[in-house]
Amino acid sequence: MTESQPKPKTVADDKKVHGVVAEFTDVDSLLAACRRVRDAGYTKADAFTPFPVHGIDTALGIKPTILPWISLAAGLTGTTIALLMQISLNGQTELFEGIQYPYIISGKPFISLPAFIPVTFELTILLASFGTFFGMWALNGLPRFSNPMFTSPRFDRATDDTFFLFLDAKDSRFDEAGAKALLGELGGEFVEPVLEDDSSKVIPKGLLITLATVICLSSIPALAVLRMRVTKSGSPRFHIFPDMDFSPSKDAQQTTSLFADGRAMRPDVPGTVRRGEMDWDLNFKTGIDMDELASIDAPRAAQLVALQSDVAVDEEDEVAAEEPAVEEQTADEAATEEPAPAGETGEASENTSVAATADDTPWLTENPLELSEEALARGQQQFNIYCSVCHGMNGRGNGLVNRRAQEILATTWTPPSNMHDPTLYSDVYPDGKLFSTITNGVRKMPGYASQIKAKDRWAIVAYVRALQTSQDATLEDVPGSQRSKIEKEQADVQAKLKAAAEAEAAKAAEAADAE
Amino acid sequence: MSHKAVAIKPADDPAFQLPASLAGLSLPMIIGGIVALVGGAFFSNSAVGGRFGMSSYLVAYMYCLTLAIGSLFFVLIQHLSRAGWSVVVRRVAELMMIMVIPLALLFIPIAVSAYTGSLYVWSAEGYQAEHGIPSAIWEQKERWLNPNWFVARSLIYLTVWCGIAAWYYRGSQRQDETGEITITEKLQARSGPAVIAFSFCTSFAAFDWVMSLAPMWFSTMFGVYLFTGSILSAHCAICLFSFLLQRAGAMRDEVTVEHYHDLGKLIFGFICFWGYISFSQYMLIWYANIPEETHWFYTRSTNGWFNVSLVLMILHWGLPFAGTMSRHVRRRPWLISCWAAYILVLHLVDLYWIIIPEAGMGLGGAAGIIATLVCVIGMIALMLGLMLKLAAGTRVVPVRDPRLGESLAFENF
Repeated sequence: MTESQPKPKTVADDKKVHGVVAEFTDVDSLLAACRRVRDAGYTKADAFTPFPVHGIDTALGIKPTILPWISLAAGLTGTTIALLMQISLNGQTELFEGIQYPYIISGKPFISLPAFIPVTFELTILLASFGTFFGMWALNGLPRFSNPMFTSPRFDRATDDTFFLFLDAKDSRFDEAGAKALLGELGGEFVEPVLEDDSSKVIPKGLLITLATVICLSSIPALAVLRMRVTKSGSPRFHIFPDMDFSPSKDAQQTTSLFADGRAMRPDVPGTVRRGEMDWDLNFKTGIDMDELASIDAPRAAQLVALQSDVAVDEEDEVAAEEPAVEEQTADEAATEEPAPAGETGEASENTSVAATADDTPWLTENPLELSEEALARGQQQFNIYCSVCHGMNGRGNGLVNRRAQEILATTWTPPSNMHDPTLYSDVYPDGKLFSTITNGVRKMPGYASQIKAKDRWAIVAYVRALQTSQDATLEDVPGSQRSKIEKEQADVQAKLKAAAEAEAAKAAEAADAE
Repeated sequence: MSHKAVAIKPADDPAFQLPASLAGLSLPMIIGGIVALVGGAFFSNSAVGGRFGMSSYLVAYMYCLTLAIGSLFFVLIQHLSRAGWSVVVRRVAELMMIMVIPLALLFIPIAVSAYTGSLYVWSAEGYQAEHGIPSAIWEQKERWLNPNWFVARSLIYLTVWCGIAAWYYRGSQRQDETGEITITEKLQARSGPAVIAFSFCTSFAAFDWVMSLAPMWFSTMFGVYLFTGSILSAHCAICLFSFLLQRAGAMRDEVTVEHYHDLGKLIFGFICFWGYISFSQYMLIWYANIPEETHWFYTRSTNGWFNVSLVLMILHWGLPFAGTMSRHVRRRPWLISCWAAYILVLHLVDLYWIIIPEAGMGLGGAAGIIATLVCVIGMIALMLGLMLKLAAGTRVVPVRDPRLGESLAFENF
């Protein structure tokens, strides 16, 4: 205590009173006082003791904490979040359409609760712990760095040997004199007001500097990693997870000694149906109206069914049973009609002369694919990958392969068709036939069934039709809203061409004059 | 730490004696229990056939055994952790744990069945051929699962349990007379090794006596699973018996709301633990989907057992989990005792679900269920009769335990 120390504070100073505190020497007097304070109607009161005192909550009338409810709510939130997250990420539900990522894991269903439980359990526990921990903070008014009680010099003994009872000024019943009188009457010693803590609230500079330093230092590992990623080094790479970097799994096209055929990439098991392809019928897979075909050429239909069928045994039996009856009928038909070309009755994959011979196959005339912008874009992409090398990007039959073949005068080369040949238009060359050609190939062109999925082949068909239309389009095909724009562009281009031609003519004339 | 001074009654206070109304029940219960047990097993054998008779007996046996060894574990843990709160209810647990001695005698039919092949399929002739188990595997199995070695192991388990139980029971009884603090110190000092020995025996006994009903199935979790049910039901039984004793007039001032609250907390915790362990066992097997592992759960997800599995999930975990979560429930002795009784019933369903499917008779029908129930009731009655007989000659609270005062004054907050 030096001269620089301010005078002892009194209430007369214009400082705000936080409350009134009194000291008690033993637990029993404190508990008695607490009960009296509670009975006097004080709700905002608190007791400070050096050790836990049983029953002081009820004596002071402190209500049980709502912390369990916060924990429960946080825990249930965790449960809900975990389940919704996993269902939305894995599930194929109408509820979460648009963000679904159906991914089969060890053959379990998409919404597979047992697999979701560990994450659900963990998140429930995590959020319940957070809820409890931070809920406790919130209920205690944390983070608070100082309590006005600490301004009272005698209060240090609360952690040692003295009991304190405190009445808060925020209580509606509080008036300073009355509170002091009450505490004095209850046997409290050193009854005195506690003043609001008006010490500086500025965070010490040292703390800020330390914090800033810690934050800066914590970025070092991240910076080191970043630097390593962009610089070259002579020493071998550091592998944090060597077994993940050097996995024993095979890459594409590698061989293996594990299987008799040496292939590491296993082909589909016969009869495999890709997910989502179950309901595609035979028409979709062959491009042929099978019902129609069965009525005019039953053996071939049966053959196609057998070829495409996944449940081979059952259906073959069925077909075999039906066959005699159908055969008679077709025999009659065969007598009146032209015999089917040899290529047609063979296996579909050997069907190489579809376009050349008279063709009574009931091809599908309409693309079974639902036509949309995406389907066309997909068709364009697939066309550009697989078809454009020969047929050219615009379908005029002048792709790079063809050009090269012409250049070296390859003798066995058959030039690819021009897609814009009228014989390939949909009225003479139905969609189903085009699909079948892509699937099974024609002349030099191989079948693409093993490389392009059926759905994509149909998309290519659609794109080819769009290509054909585009090359033959008139202004009537353009939507009315854009016609004027195109007319204007057309006029611009023509004007430019005209100007260019005139300029050239003028130049030529000039040159002639100069001569 | 407490400011509350609780008077410790003198050791010969009538509050520590078993009420006469209960003591009189002892003899009728013992006789009725034996009759029901034997009758139930025979009825089960003749009415359902197959291995059902011995399976019913095993359900009854395991029910009482799990309660006894759960209580043994409770006592060991209280000494291991030097717990003060539990002193007033510890004698109830001690009376239950000492029942492993009569239960060791009741093991004889099971030991005999290992030779006759009337319970365990591995001891029956032709099991290997019937199920097409490769002989290389079966030879390995037989090195462990053969009647002589089985009975020898069982004797080890029973000896260890009975030894620990008897030693702790005697120590506690002697302290009642002398009040020596050194006895408590000795009991505490030995509790660590005792818990280790206990855990090994419990886990291996679960593998041998119950899991080997399906000899080709294995789960390293199974020992813990059975132990979980046993410690959960032991807490429930302690809670329920304390409540019933208080209702009958004993230890009225000693066991308070606080003790029920703590027992309730432990019951709640072990309900979670049971759910956690049983789900862990299920999920690993379900996920890996290896045929030899899944068949145990496959049996229990078909043929009527699926409903029992669902019942267990919802009624053994879900409902009591929600029901005992609240502090308000746990601080009402009659309410938490109701939940304890409820869990004890579900523990029986749990054991029925574990043991009976392997008898190969489906759910066993009404006759099988009734026969098993009669067996269980008979076994419980027999054990209760013996316990009451024992309790009548001693006290229901360890009256001179050095921590009795702490336990009496115990408060949760």
